Amino acid sequence: MTKKMTLLFALVVLCASANAQTLFDEEITIPAGFAPTEIVMPPSPLTTQVLFIGGTDMVQTTPTYGNPAGEQVAKEWHDFIGFTPDNSGQSLGWVTVNHEMVYADDLLGDGGGMTAFRVKRAADGTLDIMNQTLPDGRTGKFFNVDFVNTVGETGMNCGGITSMVDGRIWTAEEWFQSSNAGIYSNGGGIRDTSDFVVSSDIPGWDGKTLKRYQNLNWMTEVDPRNAVAIRKQYNWGRQPFEGGAVEPGNRIVYLGPDDTPGFFGMFVANTPGDFNRGTLFAYKHDKPGWKWVPIWEDGALLDHKNYADAKGATMFNRIEWVAMNPKNNFVYFTETGLDSPGNNWADDEAAGGVHHPAHIARAQAQGLSSPSDPNYRDYYGRVWEYNPMTSETRVYLEGGPAFADSPTEADYPEKALSNPDGLTVMMIDDHPFLVIQEDLNGTSKGRTPAGVSNRLCEVYLLDLSIQNPTLDDLIRLTAVPNGAEVTGAIQSPDKKSLLLNAQHPATTNPFPYNHSLTIAIHGFDQVSYANLQNLADRNSAADPEMPAVEETAVFSVYPNPTTRTVFMNKVTDVAVYDASGQRVLVKRNTNELDVSSLNKGIYYLKNTEGETLKLSVQ
Amino acid sequence: MNKKLLITTSLLAALFLLLSFKENEAALALEKTENLFRTRLEEMALSTDQLEAAAENLTAQNTSIEKLRQAHLNARIQYKKVEFLLTYLDGAAVRKNINGAPLPSVVPNVPKVIEIEPSGLQVLDELVFSENPLEEKEKIIACSKKLSHDFEEMRTYQEKVKLTHRHVFEAIRQELVRVFTQGVTGFDTPGSANAIPEARAAFEGMYDAFKNYMPLLTEKDGGLAIVMDARMDYTLQYLAEHDEFESFDRLEFLKNHIEPQYQLFYEIHKALGIEFAEETDKMPRAVNYHAVSLFAPDFLNAGYYANLDLKEPLMGKRVDLGKTLFFDPILSKDLKLSCASCHQPEKAFTDGQPKSLAANGKEHLKRNSPTLVNAVYSDRYFWDLREPRLDRQMLHVVMSKDEFGTDYIEIINKLKQSSEYGQLFSAAYPEYPEYQISTYTISDALSSYVASLTDFDSPFDRYVRGETSVIDPAVKRGFNLFMGKAACGTCHFAPTFNGTVPPTYDESESEVLGIPTSPDTLNALLDNDLGRYASGIPGYKADFYKTSFKTVTVRNVALTAPYMHNGVFQTLEEVVDFYTRGGGAGLGLDVPHQTLPFDKLELTQPEQADIVAFMKSLTGDMSKFMHPERLPIFENQTNWNNRKIGGQY
Repeated sequence: MTKKMTLLFALVVLCASANAQTLFDEEITIPAGFAPTEIVMPPSPLTTQVLFIGGTDMVQTTPTYGNPAGEQVAKEWHDFIGFTPDNSGQSLGWVTVNHEMVYADDLLGDGGGMTAFRVKRAADGTLDIMNQTLPDGRTGKFFNVDFVNTVGETGMNCGGITSMVDGRIWTAEEWFQSSNAGIYSNGGGIRDTSDFVVSSDIPGWDGKTLKRYQNLNWMTEVDPRNAVAIRKQYNWGRQPFEGGAVEPGNRIVYLGPDDTPGFFGMFVANTPGDFNRGTLFAYKHDKPGWKWVPIWEDGALLDHKNYADAKGATMFNRIEWVAMNPKNNFVYFTETGLDSPGNNWADDEAAGGVHHPAHIARAQAQGLSSPSDPNYRDYYGRVWEYNPMTSETRVYLEGGPAFADSPTEADYPEKALSNPDGLTVMMIDDHPFLVIQEDLNGTSKGRTPAGVSNRLCEVYLLDLSIQNPTLDDLIRLTAVPNGAEVTGAIQSPDKKSLLLNAQHPATTNPFPYNHSLTIAIHGFDQVSYANLQNLADRNSAADPEMPAVEETAVFSVYPNPTTRTVFMNKVTDVAVYDASGQRVLVKRNTNELDVSSLNKGIYYLKNTEGETLKLSVQ
Repeated sequence: MNKKLLITTSLLAALFLLLSFKENEAALALEKTENLFRTRLEEMALSTDQLEAAAENLTAQNTSIEKLRQAHLNARIQYKKVEFLLTYLDGAAVRKNINGAPLPSVVPNVPKVIEIEPSGLQVLDELVFSENPLEEKEKIIACSKKLSHDFEEMRTYQEKVKLTHRHVFEAIRQELVRVFTQGVTGFDTPGSANAIPEARAAFEGMYDAFKNYMPLLTEKDGGLAIVMDARMDYTLQYLAEHDEFESFDRLEFLKNHIEPQYQLFYEIHKALGIEFAEETDKMPRAVNYHAVSLFAPDFLNAGYYANLDLKEPLMGKRVDLGKTLFFDPILSKDLKLSCASCHQPEKAFTDGQPKSLAANGKEHLKRNSPTLVNAVYSDRYFWDLREPRLDRQMLHVVMSKDEFGTDYIEIINKLKQSSEYGQLFSAAYPEYPEYQISTYTISDALSSYVASLTDFDSPFDRYVRGETSVIDPAVKRGFNLFMGKAACGTCHFAPTFNGTVPPTYDESESEVLGIPTSPDTLNALLDNDLGRYASGIPGYKADFYKTSFKTVTVRNVALTAPYMHNGVFQTLEEVVDFYTRGGGAGLGLDVPHQTLPFDKLELTQPEQADIVAFMKSLTGDMSKFMHPERLPIFENQTNWNNRKIGGQY
């Protein structure tokens, strides 16, 4: 944005702070023959398809607990999605979906679970779920991933890792288990609580005996082609894992544990691709030179947190997903936050854990000396960036609304980032974008707009070419079902689709959107980089595709079909009336209007000055 | 475009412009309200600082105790004046730090159990008004310090929030619900019982804000302005003249003050042309803003709780199908049990047993069968609150070996053998033919039916809504006790009289009562069912959830004996007696986390009888919930066609 434009915008904002607060009539009469300037909102290039419905679709099971192979209703509460590309060209690849719902089941196995299926691109651009017969004889579309007969049960399968190198898949479980009674859960959880004897190809682990609960909370590799688990990654430590990422050299895995403190981790393989042999590290920002410390003592793998404390590792407040920019190998991870983390990491600090300067600065801004103070607050979380060349970390995007500095008044609540959780990088028009998925820890402090007491979780895109993004740079992805809590986003290998899980969707969406389901949004190959630019960038000479919107006296708007947003040339109050003159939308103090909730048809846009435009939504 | 058309268009456009109203007055009203809000926040900040000082200066002298109590009461009054906007803007933060229940809770949405100690004005209310506050001095200082700190944090944030007109009126209507359900009931004044003067302060706060809109309202609808003006004086005067907690007539207050204003403020909101929430965001809400009575049948959106769109054109067919399934024993393993076995319409969908009979016909299930009438109004289901989704509630019954003892695959395979069922499913669920008879459609039809089992048409409802003008004086006395002295209404919230918390009605509570194994008050033993703690939900593994059970509705209790999760009490008199004695702890049982006050309620026998009379007045007409006349035919399984409607037992 040029300086002149900035000035112009400042001027507009200044004028608007007069705060018109126009009262728009509930109903207006549209005079016959009334023909204001007509603006056309073309159809969205994005379409949505349901792939897999939890609790409803049937999955094929292996012989389990003495029962023969068969069929069962899939578990629910989808979280992570893995996508393993098929290089043979026979299909697009294999999809794996995690289930966070824990219960005892004679056919699926106790604990959490995972479902695998194979997809190919149909002629009409949608995805077909393929019929498969697996080597173990199971035939069908959806397959229960067998943990029971391979590596032992898992707990709450939440996040995971898709390797960007070869599509290897690991599943994670964040809820840290500390007793057999806890996992047994009165017979509703994991019923077999006998000691577990490890059978593993990881050096030093075969034949080891663990308490049953100790066999949980490991990153677990699965084979999506055969719908079986391969191994629990005992050598990466037992941690409340949520996410991770494999770098292109296939030697380093970055690891994110969901805990306060959570220690950003890294496993370095001795030889590329062999993650059974190597060294585990924890991040330590204040270490001179390379900022990683090895966690390799005897016993450290079963007691990771205490060893990380003792090594003085850097404490984060609930690390969730980890993603990598394929253009430069920079690593991004979400720190989802915990409102009052002070008491949760005070002991760890005493045991050696260190606070990141970013948290110390935040504490000082709150008038406190340390983030371990019980009054320290971390309501919104943030997205971090890790530079693999320098091993430095920095806050890439701070959550909020802070109101004093961000987002701009016109952008709230559309652009508030609260408790980022799911994170992936998506290529659109060969530009990398972060896909950030919220999972709210609460509704206080503006995490939901005034008067909304239930959690509203959004999905945002963020252009990774922006060096120092602010909340105003977020692009809300309106193609996801209304009000749904979205997790697990991952792009298809052909870059055309984004797969995601909708977990606790809202009433306003008809079946199947009121269920736990995996959906695909198609058409991202039709979206250009320019289509996703924010209002401020529309005037940039770098985007000749975007018509310049000039600051004029006359009310004018520019519709963006991809984000279903109407941009206006000035900050104003605006009401939308349908063709019959009924008021259907009101937005105040804004220069952009989300019209994704409007059905096809003719509408009238009226601003504070009474200027009216006709909007044809297609 | 020719010239003539251009002129016509411009003329029409000019006409259109004229239709927009003056902005200045509207903007001014809001600006004044924002300024008032900030002033009130400052006043409250000052009062919490004064409270902190009074706590630190506390000595054994009576004057110093009196000073502390006055400082506390003043802080509460300042809070009440700003409560409507503060709780509307950030109810969660108010509950957590400023005026939440004095009970521990857990941090939500974290993969481990982290307990939160209660803090804020309610905790202080108990401490400051305890017999000897000096003994609690350290706690009082810590709590008042934390309050000042937390409030200051909240204030610096909320000052920057931009209000819109809609917020002001929604906040006022929400506050009317709060004052009635949580204010005058004594919910948030457990120690001081200063509830009525506080209610007056809450009204003053609302009116001061609303008065900024009077010039605008006078211009738009002078009649409404005159009525509202008179109403404000009437209510403030009534509360000034009737400020004693025990004798306060809640029914009169409801009928003559809360209800008329709940309607008036809606009409004013509309008359001013202010947009409604659904025009600014698409979030579902539990409270239907367009209902004009707290006791209107549509005050709460059943669809919100059931995750269903009740306006869906096929809903009627889905409810009918759900009803057929509900009464059809085809769902159970041996075709003997149906949902109606334990949920019989004439008993308000209960079964009259302390604990329902198991599928084997000999043993009993773990807990009492709860009523399904109005059961939908809850954010989670079962006595232990283990299931957040109504449509998944059925899965627990299907899979339980003591109940249906089957699975969905078996049920689907059976249903697919009836072409009549096939037609019913395809008519109700025409889209997605691959899912026509599936887990989804079966559970969706059943939850559609359960969501339809609502009733707000009892004699008491009709009286409140003004449809009848006579009510038994015992019912009136009983209601006033229920909502006042007896403190029933502080957990059984109006108008559902269950544990779904007003004013947003989006969270269901459970309580620890110390329920015994038998009604024997002399040799009482604590029932060993751990309730919510043992629900299997990892986040409920907090000690204070041990023996905690869902607060169920008292609507239709005349039909749902026996009572409590274990059916221990046969009569309502026994239930009221149990509460009067102070629950399990009052009986001398060791119930460390009991949420019911341990001290005796000191209700006389006639008072107890009045409370029972009130509860009985909440009985609806169950005859509208009929058994289906027949069940679908299975053409190739003729032996199944003899199955009994509603099951064998």
